[in-house]
Amino acid sequence: MLVLSIISCRDPFEPEIIRQDLAILVVEGYVEVDGESFISLSRTSPVRDTASVVFESGARVFLIPESGTSFWDFEESEDQAGFYTLEGSFDPNQKYFLNVWLSNGEMYQSELLTPIITPDIEELGWLRDEVGVEIFVSTNGNEDARYFLWTYNEDWIFNAGISSFLIFENGGVRERREEERVDRCWSSTFMPRIVLQNSARFDGNRILERELVRIPNLSEKLQRRYSIEVVQRAIDQDAFDFWEILRKNSDDIGGIFSPLPSLISGNINNVDEKKDENVIGFISMGRSSRKRIYIDQADVAPWRVEIPEYEFCNLSMDTIPPELASSRFRTGVEIPARILFDGPFFLGYRGASRECVDCTLRGSNVKPEFWED
Amino acid sequence: MKLKAVFVFFFSILCLFPALAQDHSKKFSGLFPGISFQRFARQIEAQSDYEFYFLEKDVSEIQVNISAAENTLPQLLVTIFEGKDLKFSIDGSNRVFISKNSALEVKLAEDFFNKRDREIKGDSLGAQSDIDRAFSRNKLYVIGSQGSQTEATLSGRITGIDTGNPVFGAVVFERVNYTRAITNEAGEFSIHLPVGRHTLFIQNLGGFVEQRQLSLLGDGILDIAIEENIISLDEFTISSEKMSNIARPEMGVQSLNIQSMRKLPAVLGEVDVIRSILTLPGVQTVGEASVGFNVRGGAADQNLILMNHSTIYNPSHLFGLFSAFNPDMVESVELYKAGMPVKFGGRLSSVLDVEAKYGNPDKVQVTGGIGLMTSRLTVEGPIGENTTFALGGRTTYSDWILDILEENTDFNDARASFYDLNFNVSHKFNDKNTLKLNVYNSSDNFRFDRDTTFTYENRNFNLGWTHYFNEKLEAELVLGRDQYNFGIQGRDNPSNAYDFGYEILQDFAKVNFQYEYDDQHQLNFGLHSIRYRLQPGQIGPVGEPSLVIPESVNTEQALETAFYIGDNFEVNDHLSLNYGMRYVIYNYLGPNTIREYRDGVPIAPPNLEREREFSAGSIINTYHGPEFRISARYILDNISSIKAGYNTGRQFIHLVTNNAAIAPTDVWKLSDPNIRPQWGDQISIGYYRNLKIDKYEFSVETYHRTLRNLIDFRSGATLILNNAVEQDILRTEGRAYGAEVLLKKNTGKLNGWISYTYSRSLLRTAAEETAEKINNGGWYPSNFDQPHNAVLVGNYEWSKRISTSINANYSTGRPITLPVAQFNYGGNERVYFSDRNAYRIPDYFRVDLSVNLEGNHKSKKLAHSSWSVGVYNLLGRRNPYSVYFTPVNGVLEGFQLSIFAQPIPFITYNFRI
Repeated sequence: MLVLSIISCRDPFEPEIIRQDLAILVVEGYVEVDGESFISLSRTSPVRDTASVVFESGARVFLIPESGTSFWDFEESEDQAGFYTLEGSFDPNQKYFLNVWLSNGEMYQSELLTPIITPDIEELGWLRDEVGVEIFVSTNGNEDARYFLWTYNEDWIFNAGISSFLIFENGGVRERREEERVDRCWSSTFMPRIVLQNSARFDGNRILERELVRIPNLSEKLQRRYSIEVVQRAIDQDAFDFWEILRKNSDDIGGIFSPLPSLISGNINNVDEKKDENVIGFISMGRSSRKRIYIDQADVAPWRVEIPEYEFCNLSMDTIPPELASSRFRTGVEIPARILFDGPFFLGYRGASRECVDCTLRGSNVKPEFWED
Repeated sequence: MKLKAVFVFFFSILCLFPALAQDHSKKFSGLFPGISFQRFARQIEAQSDYEFYFLEKDVSEIQVNISAAENTLPQLLVTIFEGKDLKFSIDGSNRVFISKNSALEVKLAEDFFNKRDREIKGDSLGAQSDIDRAFSRNKLYVIGSQGSQTEATLSGRITGIDTGNPVFGAVVFERVNYTRAITNEAGEFSIHLPVGRHTLFIQNLGGFVEQRQLSLLGDGILDIAIEENIISLDEFTISSEKMSNIARPEMGVQSLNIQSMRKLPAVLGEVDVIRSILTLPGVQTVGEASVGFNVRGGAADQNLILMNHSTIYNPSHLFGLFSAFNPDMVESVELYKAGMPVKFGGRLSSVLDVEAKYGNPDKVQVTGGIGLMTSRLTVEGPIGENTTFALGGRTTYSDWILDILEENTDFNDARASFYDLNFNVSHKFNDKNTLKLNVYNSSDNFRFDRDTTFTYENRNFNLGWTHYFNEKLEAELVLGRDQYNFGIQGRDNPSNAYDFGYEILQDFAKVNFQYEYDDQHQLNFGLHSIRYRLQPGQIGPVGEPSLVIPESVNTEQALETAFYIGDNFEVNDHLSLNYGMRYVIYNYLGPNTIREYRDGVPIAPPNLEREREFSAGSIINTYHGPEFRISARYILDNISSIKAGYNTGRQFIHLVTNNAAIAPTDVWKLSDPNIRPQWGDQISIGYYRNLKIDKYEFSVETYHRTLRNLIDFRSGATLILNNAVEQDILRTEGRAYGAEVLLKKNTGKLNGWISYTYSRSLLRTAAEETAEKINNGGWYPSNFDQPHNAVLVGNYEWSKRISTSINANYSTGRPITLPVAQFNYGGNERVYFSDRNAYRIPDYFRVDLSVNLEGNHKSKKLAHSSWSVGVYNLLGRRNPYSVYFTPVNGVLEGFQLSIFAQPIPFITYNFRI
């Protein structure tokens, strides 16, 4: 057994890939027939480039119906460059083109978009088992809606390693107000994974309990309360293939029996066919359906939590008398956590490191707008 | 004295010329009182420059009891041998030869230089069994009467020296032109030679090489008695290979017997057929844990892997860690890289013909081995007089294994197990009819997690009947069935629990005739027919709650029939031609539904013209055409030859995979109206030379191959459970070229070989393919294009019992498609890939070392045992198997995955009872 455990291993690999910036246009988004649509425009960057994503701002993005001359312009979001939104209502029986005119004069158009009305999410449920909690979705596809794509966002409350209701301010220690709390925060993930399923493989196009997320034991996500919002979209086969390639290129590469990576493109092309320019992105259109659920710690109890960042959190051993509080807490490296009394006599404070006390280092102490307690 | 007797063996007739001037004037005096002849000889040798040569047993009874006074040695010897049947002769170098019955001729016949006047009356020199071998080997036999003929036929009978029985199957040959003959059941042979001097060698299987010096003047008879004792099998093997390198008419053929495979350091202590052939020039692999191998730039599915006529679709266990051939059951392996014999067909790149054992005819023998991961046991032997059998099995110890293939904690629940079984029987009804049965079964079962189990299995059996019509014509009829299946059992969740199954079934019939038309023509002709039945995938629900809809891809059926004829034509002493043709007819059979697409546009759903239903047994379409196999050998001189060849092939069954390595779950697909059969040709030329009296063997071969109708896949192709797989296929053409250099040392304590291969393998989307052009329709390297490959195999025998082997292997890294840009999509960092196979993984280099320890060679012992101890990947080099990119803390980091990344020690115990 010893022999086998040393057989394989993983090492860093840094090929001398040409550090050439291809800057391929990337178009992402979904056009809602009813509600808010978004399109984002960005460029690819060289591999291992740590700089933030280059967004393409100042473009004109608009939707035109297959027949007719009318058009609807997207508006670029003010606080996020390269992010374009459109609020509107469109006839789902029509077909549309999405057009993108960049500020550099290049013009792009999508292939014809056929809106697909997504069936409702029948059930968004979860299951506690020995390895954790599995969250699954069930739905019923139909002739028009066979291929499903799910994205989800998760939000949850977690506690700091050491909870403190004290704050050092202006040379003194006082109790925190509600909005200053750092003992519990919200953390979140945004579309961490794409889940795809072809319902045609199942009886009556019925997708039952498709696993979306698995929360392993000891995860902080279920320390207090957890929420997941799932967006379900029915897409056509070409879109499904695009997402499947995207998923395979990300998830499946590098294994022993992994497929070779595929070249990815999409349904957006340069209007000038001679340019033979590759554009990444597949825009779909239709009506998506959403659902949100909450899971409380009590629902899954007992649920032990281990947060690696808080593993070595301890209160300082010494008691800090009030006259030393200023010198100890002024830098913010240490934060007062407890008040010590000996009977009625106030002795001083015990502190802890900021990393252990301040949960805002790992999340936000502002309750998300949608959050229901 | 024994040594000196041996020396006589090598004594050549040419040394006898000085015998013409003899002088025995040296006088001896003294008393020799009742001493042994040996002692007498020593004393004479001490006093003079005479040297004695004799066999100890001949003189053991002689007592020397004489008093000498100024006597010459001949006088003394005459006295000593008086009344005995011993004779002596003395040559010009004062060498004294003692022999029984008749004296060794140390002089040339008086009329040696005056042969023309000579009349030889008797043309037969009777059986030589009564003459000491030492003389027979070196004596010049003058045969036949002088005539005007330039060539003569020598015939005779070979018998055992002790038994007097005829020796069947002995090879009679000379080493200048390698003319040879084989004795029949009566021990009779007939060989056609130019008149003049020859050294004729007689090789009995497993025996000494016996030799006779001939002066062939005309047709004649020479009967020869040889020893039948088994001396050494190795000796036979090497000399036969020595001959074959230069004289063999085919080219691109590599043979390995199990003895030489045993000398290679084996991973995990197991002698491995596939790993062994990977040390040969022109054979490469994409990685260590891969099932297939690539020959001369061909894909892994282009190798026909046969074991005693059975086609083995998956020749490996545990994703390629072990090959599926039990080493104790293997006799030898031949790999045809070019110039495939005409009786083989159906694959473009190579034929790997594994010959398995039918059992030891003398006694029941048990062999086995115990290693770290596997154990094996083989029983073989005779049942009655005419039947032999061999039964072998191999298995892993337990179901555990391998959270190692990928460093991933999800694989804690990984399990793997396998076994294989061979059962071969040969029964000889009479001298003319032999029946052979081959049964093979191998099975694998593995899972990476608790939910999904993979299985695969080879099942083969066939029955062969060999019939000898007469001395010239022999036929073999083989009927059999080959089966390969794999399955996936998904138990992830009761609502989608499923079983997936896939199966290939092929029934075949072969009739092969071998006809020795005359001395110059050896014909080989026959018929080979395969009936394919493929169940290319079906999925079904398991259990009540499962909602999986049973689905299956249409079964496929086809009939492949080939007629062939080939001739090995010895044009003259120098030139030999091997040419043949194979005509293949392939019928794709119903029932099936065939999609017809419009011409000239991509094969895609919008271009579907119509679907046609075909009933069972109806012929949907037919492909047919000839295949040519031509090769020629021209012997330049005793030690070198050139060869050239051209061959073409067709392949009707394709592996549908878009992995770099073959995965056990890849499906095979038959050619149909939309997927044409693959076609390939190869032209090759080579130069062969033996150096230092056959000590070294050197060869260079170059080749160029063209391949058409290969298969590549569109981006995002779905290959499993796809009824219309043609819509995901890109018609591709290929070319491969390269050169192979091999220098081999066959004999001596240090032996082995060093080989270098330059090989390119390129693909291009076919011009007529409109759906998608990979890399804009330009040439791109195939997944197994590894231009440089060098192998060193060295074996040093410290003694008969201890040997050390080293195996070093270098090759260029295989091509990969690398990410060249990153972007954000769907909330995650994504990668954009370069042109197909634009980059390479780092080069591969590995050194293995092993020590083989044989037990002692005492014949009376319960079991012969041996140990094999060694280290695989001695340098611990982390050879990357694959490379991938994944975001770590928001930065896309590259990783290389290595298998066997550290020195892996192994130990195996082998035994034979």
